[in-house]
Amino acid sequence: MEILLSQAANGLVLGFIYVLIAVGLSITFGMLGIVNFAHGAFFALGAYFAYELVRLFGWPAAILSPVIVAGIGMLLEVTLIRRLYGKEPLLSLVITFALALLIEAIIRYVWGTDGKPLSPPEFLNGFVELGPIFMTRYRVAVLGATIAVLVALWAFLAFTPYGRIIRAGSRDPAMVDMLGINLPRVFTAVFGLGCGIAAIAGVLAGPLWTVSPSMAANAIMPAFVIVAIGGLGSFAGAVVAGLAVGITTALTIQFWPEASTAAMYVLMLIVLLLRPRGLLGTQWERFE
Amino acid sequence: MTVKNTSGRWRAAGRLSALTGVLLASLSASAIAEETVRLGILTPKQGASASIGLHMARGAEIAVAMHGKKVLGKPIETIWLDEASPQVAQQNMQRMATEYKVAGVVGGNSSAATLAMMSVAEREKLPFISAGSAASEVTGTSCNRYTFRTQAPVPVQVSAIFDRLKDNKIYFFTPAYAFGQDVLRTGRAMLGNVNATEAGADEIPVNTADYSSYILKIRRAAPDAIFGALVGLDLSNFLKQWNELGMKGSVPIYEVAVSDTDFWDIGPAAATGTHVKPWYYNDDRNPAVEKEFVKAYQEAYDMPPSDKAWSGWFAMRSMLESLEKAGSTDPTKLVPAIESWRYEAGEFPYYYREWDHQLIRPALIVQVKDQISDKYDFMNVVGWSTEGEEATSTAFGTKEQIGCKMGDL
Repeated sequence: MEILLSQAANGLVLGFIYVLIAVGLSITFGMLGIVNFAHGAFFALGAYFAYELVRLFGWPAAILSPVIVAGIGMLLEVTLIRRLYGKEPLLSLVITFALALLIEAIIRYVWGTDGKPLSPPEFLNGFVELGPIFMTRYRVAVLGATIAVLVALWAFLAFTPYGRIIRAGSRDPAMVDMLGINLPRVFTAVFGLGCGIAAIAGVLAGPLWTVSPSMAANAIMPAFVIVAIGGLGSFAGAVVAGLAVGITTALTIQFWPEASTAAMYVLMLIVLLLRPRGLLGTQWERFE
Repeated sequence: MTVKNTSGRWRAAGRLSALTGVLLASLSASAIAEETVRLGILTPKQGASASIGLHMARGAEIAVAMHGKKVLGKPIETIWLDEASPQVAQQNMQRMATEYKVAGVVGGNSSAATLAMMSVAEREKLPFISAGSAASEVTGTSCNRYTFRTQAPVPVQVSAIFDRLKDNKIYFFTPAYAFGQDVLRTGRAMLGNVNATEAGADEIPVNTADYSSYILKIRRAAPDAIFGALVGLDLSNFLKQWNELGMKGSVPIYEVAVSDTDFWDIGPAAATGTHVKPWYYNDDRNPAVEKEFVKAYQEAYDMPPSDKAWSGWFAMRSMLESLEKAGSTDPTKLVPAIESWRYEAGEFPYYYREWDHQLIRPALIVQVKDQISDKYDFMNVVGWSTEGEEATSTAFGTKEQIGCKMGDL
């Protein structure tokens, strides 16, 4: 029982990192109707910019990484992504997949194929033992930071005028446009927000995993699985599904490690068989 | 009108001249292409082993440069394709044979990819030297006449380090594919030889990013030692998280078939353990030609070569010298030339054994230094898997033990 509690707590950390990646993906899809295959590449870019900033200026500078990645995302939205709105979904899949490959190639060109060492800040070295639960301070900090980002994002979407515009725009963009709101600018901001959140996940994951070009591919599949389990475009669904995937993976490692990668796909299969819209997915007139 | 007609004729003549020029240029280009000898390099360019693949390819290129960039009196043209997965590796091996028409291929880092590439090598009669695979099947039950292998097979590498695990409670930590399963099977079979017991075993899916759940299991099992075979970024990620969770130094780690890049990627803080690998750049026993290779590599890439760079270099060197000896790119002449090739620079002559195409050369045992002050010099060489020609030859097994049934050319 003790080891199960410990594994579940550990799975929460993994799950929350997945949630951060998936939430950005979910918001982008909900508002723009774009399934962004390049999302994992923005996650990797976040880790790489953090590596450079920490190397040059120390850990406090890492906070700039999501800002830079959000800026890159907005630039790409204006120059490329916006041409895909209203077009066949297959086109956006192909273009964003190509974009993912391009960003990964740029990462390889700039930073090389070797992994880059990024260590946690020194003040977060050490461990926390709460009964049977054993965790490093950095993992506890990741848990806290992720929850703080998710709460801030939820508050932003629920209580601010900008959040209301985004929520309304995701349901009925034409109506929002008719109300005189500059919809293209909102789209740009939403895409940048999604990329920025992925980059936050990249910054937090950098000291846990090795910063390498392949981290993009490692992140994108769990993110898609989480969005599918939680329900496309559902913020709460992404949170619930992310935690479920994290805990399922950790517990599978305990009992059947060879199947740990496949466990989340089995979970997705079961959920989608029982509820094709995902756990908290609702009907979206735009995409029906 | 006359002027117009004349200019039309001039234009027609101009076009004809241009067309003739293009034809002549393309003819001379194809003539030049025919005058080169193409050699394939097939190593990972993406995924967990991308770093290993890059170093292996660089090593092969250095071998070409050290050979004067010519073989059989013709310039060498290298083609580098990706070994991303067994399926991609097999497709690219086919392209090497049919599209690029290479004389031979070096590469093949993972055992699973190598096994996939070997079938193409046999079908297309394409000489292939695997520079990274270690699974027994490659030169064992799946061997074929066109495939050679430089790295010591799993039983040699496992037995090299298992003597150090006497009376230990061992936790096996191996990747969940052909090579890892071979290591696990071999390790379990050797437990009795050293009076060791099994504390636990995990087979890890490739490209696993988070090892914390595995580390919690190991912590609870409280083994005396961890014996593993993770490869590339998978090993880097594991060691990094092992250190992060405060486990470094608490349980010794032993790994086979590691590469220098696995440690360079995570830095000195997380590097630990005693490992088996083919070669180390800062080993006093390296012969003069290998010291030349280190120098050439450092000049070209501003860093020392990893063991996988050496493997690429060694495989390409043996391919080039065999081509010269064969006097032809004809595979029916090249394969016997590789079979009779000797590397005279080592402690004793190293060679590809004729009946299974396994390179007979001991593996190196290294230990991560307690204090690392250089960003690349992480290891102390603490021994070889075997000393001397006879002991090495014996360690690689007999015909009956290996089980290779080599086909005809």
